[in-house]
Amino acid sequence: MDRSWMKFAAAAACLLLFGAHLAEAADSVKIGIIWPLTGNAAAAGQASKAAAEVAADIVNNAHPELGDLPLAKTAGLPNLGGAKLELVFADHQGNPSLAQQLATRLITQDRVNVLMGAYQSSCSFTATAVAERYGIPFMVGESAALNITGRGFKWVFRGTPIASDYARTYMRFFADMKKQGKKIDSIAIVNENTDYGTSVADAIAAEAKNANIPVAIRIPYSASSTDVSAQVLQLKEKRPDVVIFISYTADSILYMKTLKNLDYKPPMIIGDDTGFSDPSFIPAVADIAQGVMNRSAWAIGKPGSVTYKINEMYKAKTGRDLDDTSARNMQSFFALADAINRAGSTDPEKIRIALTQTDLKPEQLMMGYQGVKFDSTGQNILASTYLIQLHGKTYDLVWPERAATAQLQWPMAGWAK
Amino acid sequence: MKRLSPTRLGFAVFAVALLLYPLVFTNPFFLDIGVTFLLAAISASAWNIVGGYAGQISVGHSMFFGLGAYAPLLFYQWLGWPPMAGIPIGIAASVVLAIIIGMPTFRLTGHYFSMATIAVAELIRIFTGTWDFVGAAIGLQGPATARGWWDLTFRGETPYYYIFLGVLAVLLFITHTIERRRFGYYLRAIKARERAARSLGVPVLQIKMKALMLSATFTSLAGSLYAIKTGFIDPESGFGILVSVQMVIIAALGGAGTLFGPLLGALILIPLQSATNTWFGGGGSGLTYILYGGIIVLIARFEPGGLFELWHRVVAKYRSRRHAA
Amino acid sequence: MLLVQVLVGGLLLGAIYALFSSGLTLIWGMMNFINFAHGEFVMLGMYAALLVVVWLGGGPAVFGVVVALFLFFMGVAVYASLIRHVLRGPMLAQILSTFGLALLLRYTAFWIFSANFVSLPETWLSGSIDVGGIWLPIPQLIAGLLAITLTIVLHLLLTRTTVGSRLLAVAEDRNAAMLMGIRPDRMQALAWGLSASAAGIAGALMATAYPWSPSVGETFGLIAFVVVALGGFGSVPGAMYAGLIIGLIQSVSAFWLGPIYKDIVVYALFAVLLWLRPQGLMGRA
Repeated sequence: MDRSWMKFAAAAACLLLFGAHLAEAADSVKIGIIWPLTGNAAAAGQASKAAAEVAADIVNNAHPELGDLPLAKTAGLPNLGGAKLELVFADHQGNPSLAQQLATRLITQDRVNVLMGAYQSSCSFTATAVAERYGIPFMVGESAALNITGRGFKWVFRGTPIASDYARTYMRFFADMKKQGKKIDSIAIVNENTDYGTSVADAIAAEAKNANIPVAIRIPYSASSTDVSAQVLQLKEKRPDVVIFISYTADSILYMKTLKNLDYKPPMIIGDDTGFSDPSFIPAVADIAQGVMNRSAWAIGKPGSVTYKINEMYKAKTGRDLDDTSARNMQSFFALADAINRAGSTDPEKIRIALTQTDLKPEQLMMGYQGVKFDSTGQNILASTYLIQLHGKTYDLVWPERAATAQLQWPMAGWAK
Repeated sequence: MKRLSPTRLGFAVFAVALLLYPLVFTNPFFLDIGVTFLLAAISASAWNIVGGYAGQISVGHSMFFGLGAYAPLLFYQWLGWPPMAGIPIGIAASVVLAIIIGMPTFRLTGHYFSMATIAVAELIRIFTGTWDFVGAAIGLQGPATARGWWDLTFRGETPYYYIFLGVLAVLLFITHTIERRRFGYYLRAIKARERAARSLGVPVLQIKMKALMLSATFTSLAGSLYAIKTGFIDPESGFGILVSVQMVIIAALGGAGTLFGPLLGALILIPLQSATNTWFGGGGSGLTYILYGGIIVLIARFEPGGLFELWHRVVAKYRSRRHAA
Repeated sequence: MLLVQVLVGGLLLGAIYALFSSGLTLIWGMMNFINFAHGEFVMLGMYAALLVVVWLGGGPAVFGVVVALFLFFMGVAVYASLIRHVLRGPMLAQILSTFGLALLLRYTAFWIFSANFVSLPETWLSGSIDVGGIWLPIPQLIAGLLAITLTIVLHLLLTRTTVGSRLLAVAEDRNAAMLMGIRPDRMQALAWGLSASAAGIAGALMATAYPWSPSVGETFGLIAFVVVALGGFGSVPGAMYAGLIIGLIQSVSAFWLGPIYKDIVVYALFAVLLWLRPQGLMGRA
């Protein structure tokens, strides 16, 4: 109770200081960030918020230890006379109409220079439309739906890879495995049925068709299911060689437990990030999910590496490891900061032009992308992803081979000792 | 000359304030709050006809709201027509649905109607999420930029504000008229004692049906306005249980079964939501909802008839004091 | 064989539904009061179990008892501080009060425990046994059996004991009960305690198999409504049968039609039932 009153008092104090605050806003760059900080997707929103705060710390203070990461060495944005980034967070609660209102508020009331958000595709749709109307650059950190970019919007950029990129990665991986003599005669797709799961599953089904890999069964389900045994039994009946799960947190854990309880272990399981990357996943099911693969463009790396240090900063703040979803948001944030710096101004049009000219090289990134470069629709075309595999209590990078740090285990061990 | 009662005077001041609001608060964010307020007031007032006056508590009014919201964007999506062409279709579908729901459940009393409405709304929500024609889980979008005024896709909020204000005025006028007609007396009789009303010859079923159909019409219209203004709809924001709950809370908070109750409820709740979200939302601690939930509990506990009753008490006190003086 | 497995899974799930719904139906039947915060009691049971395991290190036997007691007092406290006052008010105020309570409980948990998903550490309950080719997950098996037992105990408590007949007397006619020297307030407080306790134990049992976050109550709250309406308001045996039936329907339709259709089937059947037999399976017309 004491703490709550302190928070309350702090919030009230912030409010009082608001007036004074406006006066000094001139020498900082304001980034408005809209995420679901409460509601059903709150966990993802909260983790990404902490990641953005770490990113802002890296840009605002001198971090020479972080190598080639843009803006890390210097304090603030050098081309703007060392101006600092100031983050203004807003909580859209997963409500698209509220996301629209908050985008309006951040632009007209808080006078942010750029916007970022919004996790759920529904909220990205409405919030980006507001940014487009006002001519404010909007960086979509992570939203699945294909047509968030490509609606003819000038002001919308998306730093993360999208569903079709993931699907092609899986197909390249399967082709590689087949070359090595692994049997992949059919796959199964199990997807949660909101925008995320549906978008990714559609893309995988389409790419599998191109690659001539039969989809034995596709099972959409609701992520709030309290029981998934029917799905597992359906899989057991079809016996596919690989099962791809596109799941959120509770359901991905539930799947692993149910697979073991019903004694069905497919030769290989690939989790499509999200639930499988949630920091809750490994502590809950590591013992029974050995060899589960996951896609991720984020790897903590060896002690001493830049990514390792970033993870340490994040861990100091939250007590948890940085997950892929938050890391992709963080990378998008860095790309945005880099563009603002190159623009040398807080003028939205100049920032937009700088964004279109973005060309970050792999060594300047914290993620395993081939770079950051936006096409005419605003989509990053150099975004790509790794495949990782659960060995013990950590995910090791196992594919592509040129980047791999550990040997791929196939078939997966699951709960076998 | 008839004396101006404090309630009438209050309303007159409030009406003028509503008309002038966009001229005073020109900032788009405050305008947007105004628009949100009007939309909430329309939905809650529409709910109030059946939930407040007739006392049939629906917790699934999102089914009408969602139908109204999907129809315009479906017309735009598949035919390229201006979204507002879908408004009548949404209303027609809602009225049909109202009949389908009302027929079996209105024969019963108690919580059955509430339960049935929750179930049907959930059924529609889940089904919509699996149906590709209506955009499944991803939802539908409206025109990004207007092709002409008929798309009702405006750059600023002011046109929406006055359109919504007009709809609210019409709805309140209709409700006011009903209140004073026989229909209104029947509704109150049913709410107070259904069995007694029936034995006195009130056509209970027919009256309840009419109230539900009228309520569905305006709820559907509110949904259409929402979809056209937001330019987006998905199963959760159309048919979600929170949409229904919001209508119930606003009407109950202000005073269900009174003309201005829902208006008062929206006037308190919407700015409260915006303010707590602005102050505490960015912190992400959930304080927004703790406050919100706490206030609802306190009002239910100490002012169970809604805040409009409090107003009446204050007015009565003021009067008696003046008489005493 | 697969079908038998599906049916077993459905029954085990249904048993849990039955337990937490029996709490809801008790309140509903006794006070004609809809508790929209019932799912939140399930959520509190889950977190209470977690705290017991983390702090006291006990197994399911320990946290079962602690959760039952804790939730009993929560239920009584909620009754004494809030429900008692709105009980005789308008129905809308009742609905409003439990909506508000649900938000308050959910986001207080959110404040304390954060939005992250948690799950119970593995206990001796983990794993599954093979009975003639049918796999029985031990947590669900024990949870299911216990849930059925507790539901039956609750039913016996209501029908075979003095306390139970007093509870039912208050439900039947408050004033007459008062004349008989029963204090309705105490009985109703007891009912709230029992109701919350049943929900809490169900939550603790679920927690052995299911990861959760503060918003988990929403899912269970809706299921409980359907179970109660199907079983008949106020009928504990009705809630038990309805819980089992809904568990079965969900499993079978998820297996045959696909998981996204399982809730559609449940709600559609429910709508049809409301049309044909609105008082529910075991309810009084």
